[in-house]
Amino acid sequence: MLFSIGDYLAGMLIGVATTFAVRAVVSPGMDMVLAMLIGMAAGTIVHLLLGLVLAPLVGMFETMMPASLIGMYGGMLFGMRDSMAAGSHTLTSAATVGAIFGAVVVLGVKVYDHILRGAVFEADY
Amino acid sequence: MDMDTQQKWDAASRTLDLMSFAEDRRIGPYKRRLFSEMRGATLMVAAGTGNDFKFFPPNMHVVSIDISPKMLERAARKAAAYSGSIELRKMDVCDLEFPDSSFDTIATAFTFCSVPKPIKGLRELRRVLKPDGQLIMIEHVRSGIGPLGIFMDFMTPLTSRIGPSLNRDTVGNVQKAGFRLRRVENVYLDVVKIIEAVPDNDK
Repeated sequence: MLFSIGDYLAGMLIGVATTFAVRAVVSPGMDMVLAMLIGMAAGTIVHLLLGLVLAPLVGMFETMMPASLIGMYGGMLFGMRDSMAAGSHTLTSAATVGAIFGAVVVLGVKVYDHILRGAVFEADY
Repeated sequence: MDMDTQQKWDAASRTLDLMSFAEDRRIGPYKRRLFSEMRGATLMVAAGTGNDFKFFPPNMHVVSIDISPKMLERAARKAAAYSGSIELRKMDVCDLEFPDSSFDTIATAFTFCSVPKPIKGLRELRRVLKPDGQLIMIEHVRSGIGPLGIFMDFMTPLTSRIGPSLNRDTVGNVQKAGFRLRRVENVYLDVVKIIEAVPDNDK
């Protein structure tokens, strides 16, 4: 139970940190392709650094898998949004969206884990 | 002896217990269940700092090897606390010093993500395993889930410098090395897997 709460908190933290990092390096009007690439790079760096801190607390794999989706792919999405100056005009609203994005990704990974978990091959010898 | 690998894991021995603190608690029950299948003469490959010894069934005699002397120094303390006996030896899995058909059970835990030549190492395990022996493993492998698999490919050049490769196909490697799969179980997504295999005596 505590680990599960930790998973969501870790995902939200990475989502918020990715939001801040992307907003710091992507400005409105930037070429969208560049903004997405820069956002992905920023998100990757953020999730790797935070992953090192969070892994001992909630687990290496349970941190790394959702964090990679939040950092890399969230970073791209946030970069696209910030280059267009579309939505989340304040840092607080952007951070809220980042936290929600992080929590939703963690939820999705947990659902997928539940579906995949268990025996995938069993021989009769 | 692969000195680069030895030095890498000597360095990692300082932080391994800290980094695996939560993972031990989350994956530990799966390791305990897997290792309960240990029987007869047992080899544990990659002792690490000895974190997995507490998941062994009680009162067994286990030979455990590691390439890193620093890991073995730390493992010695945990081996002393085990109810049975654990014999620690410095050895490269790709160049085992045991005779053919020495063991009934060979166990690994997050090992073949880190062996530079995994098929060579697995073939050595095949050699020292008795024809009716068993290989029981818990390993992390490349995910078949598109975005996660791409991430693992992307990150492996970085992670393999300080620790494991993330994108290994260990299930496939086990088969290439002359084993038949007995059971494969997903423990976390399709990334952490229990792999049980027996020697393919037709190969």
